[in-house]
Amino acid sequence: MKKNSESSNNNIETKKLELTSRRDFFKKTAIYSASALTATSILAPVKINADEVEIMEDAQWGIKLGDLVDKYKYGIPSPYEHNNVRRLHDLLSSGDRYASVSMSPLHLQDGIITPNGLFFSRSHSGTAQVDPNKYRLMIHGLLEKPLVLTLEQLKRYPSESRIHFIECPANGSTGWRGPQFNNLQFVKGMMSSAEWTGVKLSVILEDLGLSPKAQWMLAEGSDNSEMARTIPIEKVLDDAMIVWGQNGEPLRPEQGYPVRLLVPGWEGNLNVKWLKRLEFSDKPWHSKEETSKYTMLQANGKAINYFWPMEVNSIITSPCPEVPWTDLKIGDTVEINGIAWSGRGTITTVDISLDGGQNWVEASLKGLILPKSWTRFSYIIKWDGKEKVLLSRAIDDSGHIQPSIDKLIQNVGVEGIYHRNPIVGWSVSSNGEVNNVHVRN
Amino acid sequence: MFTFEIKKIFIAFGITSSLMLSGCFAQSSTLENKVELKKNIDGAVIYPRENGKYNAYSINTQNIKNINNGRPATSNEIKAWDLDVMPDGTGLPEGQGLVEDGDELYSSQCAMCHGDFGSGGKGYPTLSGGQGSLKNQLLQAGDEPPVRTIGSYWPYASTLFWYVKSAMPFPHPKSLSNDEVYAITAYLLSINDITIDGVELDDEYVLDREKFLRIKMPNEDGFYPVSPERKDLKEQRVPLAQGTRCMKDCNAPKAVKIKNEITGFDPAISTVKDLPKTKDTSTSDTKNSAAAKNYEVSCSACHNNKVIGAPLFGDKDAWEEVMSKGISKVYENGLNGINAMPPKGGNIELSEKEFKDIVDYLINSSK
Repeated sequence: MKKNSESSNNNIETKKLELTSRRDFFKKTAIYSASALTATSILAPVKINADEVEIMEDAQWGIKLGDLVDKYKYGIPSPYEHNNVRRLHDLLSSGDRYASVSMSPLHLQDGIITPNGLFFSRSHSGTAQVDPNKYRLMIHGLLEKPLVLTLEQLKRYPSESRIHFIECPANGSTGWRGPQFNNLQFVKGMMSSAEWTGVKLSVILEDLGLSPKAQWMLAEGSDNSEMARTIPIEKVLDDAMIVWGQNGEPLRPEQGYPVRLLVPGWEGNLNVKWLKRLEFSDKPWHSKEETSKYTMLQANGKAINYFWPMEVNSIITSPCPEVPWTDLKIGDTVEINGIAWSGRGTITTVDISLDGGQNWVEASLKGLILPKSWTRFSYIIKWDGKEKVLLSRAIDDSGHIQPSIDKLIQNVGVEGIYHRNPIVGWSVSSNGEVNNVHVRN
Repeated sequence: MFTFEIKKIFIAFGITSSLMLSGCFAQSSTLENKVELKKNIDGAVIYPRENGKYNAYSINTQNIKNINNGRPATSNEIKAWDLDVMPDGTGLPEGQGLVEDGDELYSSQCAMCHGDFGSGGKGYPTLSGGQGSLKNQLLQAGDEPPVRTIGSYWPYASTLFWYVKSAMPFPHPKSLSNDEVYAITAYLLSINDITIDGVELDDEYVLDREKFLRIKMPNEDGFYPVSPERKDLKEQRVPLAQGTRCMKDCNAPKAVKIKNEITGFDPAISTVKDLPKTKDTSTSDTKNSAAAKNYEVSCSACHNNKVIGAPLFGDKDAWEEVMSKGISKVYENGLNGINAMPPKGGNIELSEKEFKDIVDYLINSSK
């Protein structure tokens, strides 16, 4: 037990002085380094082994009762974490905040699951608030038994849980003409990941007498925009799911409560929220979101349509502009940590470059390595205080390698909007600041 | 599967010792892996990792046919919900609409967002023009970008009919009759100079189902799924660009920095961990009122968007000027429509009382 009273008499004044000066020092130098205190070379007039007030004095929360255990019937984050939130920018909204997108703070996420309140949210006509008691799902078209399900009936199917990312194909699209946003949240925050619970569509369709002519499925939302997309039957029967659970609780309204479609690894837009209707046909529908949008105009004036998989990709999440290395001192051990993902399959390899692409080393993958899921990678270095350009390059088990910016632009031009997956660069200055850069020839 | 095998062992030999049980685990795995599995402090197996990975998902392999949840959809229910329209005309209802009527509907219900004659410019999509621009690439400031509109880009008119019918007007969709959708569609085609059988769609032109099915959009052939030669929609997608895996002495490009850093994030970018400033919650009651909710649904798309040009929510000066006409005139203008604002903001389902409550809420919130 440490108490101020234990400090012996005539030292106490000196100690208080030391503590005060240390506090001031912390205030002045917090931006550079807390651990720098032990680095005798940089530091000046502070006594090296000064006792910290945080330890020498009782913490405020330790000498009084805390909140009642049921203060929050549904728990919320610490009030100190109020900056760990989704963010918007008017550039990414179509005139208002109904047809808009909020970006997930990837720089404050660990592991491969996004907390539900931080999951990025894109909708075309606002977030619908669906009454689960009035919810109905209809499945019809080229099948023998058209079906209507209530939410409870749907949830009676045997369930499966899967960890998958969902990424808007416009993620990173502000970078086509050059680097624009100087933060990870807006460079790559149009994606998030969750453990989804629901039923595979193949299980439901098993009993409905699907016609062999059924080659395409329309999925339509019940919201104001009735967002609708066409999906090929091969994908529907492979791993598409109807989901109602997100990280152990019902879907959040922004994610389509009570029911959304999950199309693992493919364009986020296909994962239709507030799901209302599935129809089967021998032809695709050419809905608004697969003609006027989510098609990629090429330099030849023609556009690629029905391009579904989110391609192999990676991003270093630490360091990044929001989480720099300004607190490091030379010789510190530091981890380069990031996320790799591929909508086609499983990540096999991630390479890291510290010198802007001249030389590369293979990073370690860590944690769960699952198909169509965020996969964490790690590479540990000793900080030498020298300028760097950090790059990451992912490879998936379909054999696809994340391309350079030049290679992608050479192939598709700069007006495609969607499916932009080239290597991302962070420059690190000698004082540890991190900035968004594009490596170009 | 493991559990199943263990159950059999239980039944056959009645083995209850946890030590023996963990022995079984070890043994059955050893057969495959030829590795003596380690145990953790609780006596359970520590599985080895193969190729740097643990296993992926396990699944229930029982037969799960004939679940028979739910009930059959009735034909009337399917008819009520199946409103989509396909390029071959499947789902296109009977009806007709005059270009001139479409012009009027567009002016009152669409122009406030999409601009006069579909010119856009208010953050919402531009609906006309752009023909011949699709090869443009905006590589540097001053370059003309491609302009993707109904006329220059959309491959099928069916998409337009379906979308207007199910999702427009933005604040209160599904409020247009089939005839009105035909009229607005006809107007949108006319301002894009699209002809049907060589006939221009002038003000007197009446679009109906039969004529609609003969529309060929200018950019119908402007799309391909995989590569320009191939139209097979199900062919495997090749990557848009394949990288190369060079590890040493690669051709190192230059790092290009951000030229003009973008600001204006909401909220501002920060990772500071401190206590948030407390907000004034005294108005929370009014915020939850019916009028506030109706405002959100029916009015905010314009009155919360400065580019639209309507008096903004919370803009004291603007609403003082509006109020200089007197409240009864303000009610009257709102109920009947004024400038770009359609009657009741376009939501005709609002009662007069509900609408006046919204006006009061808007004015009280802008003092």
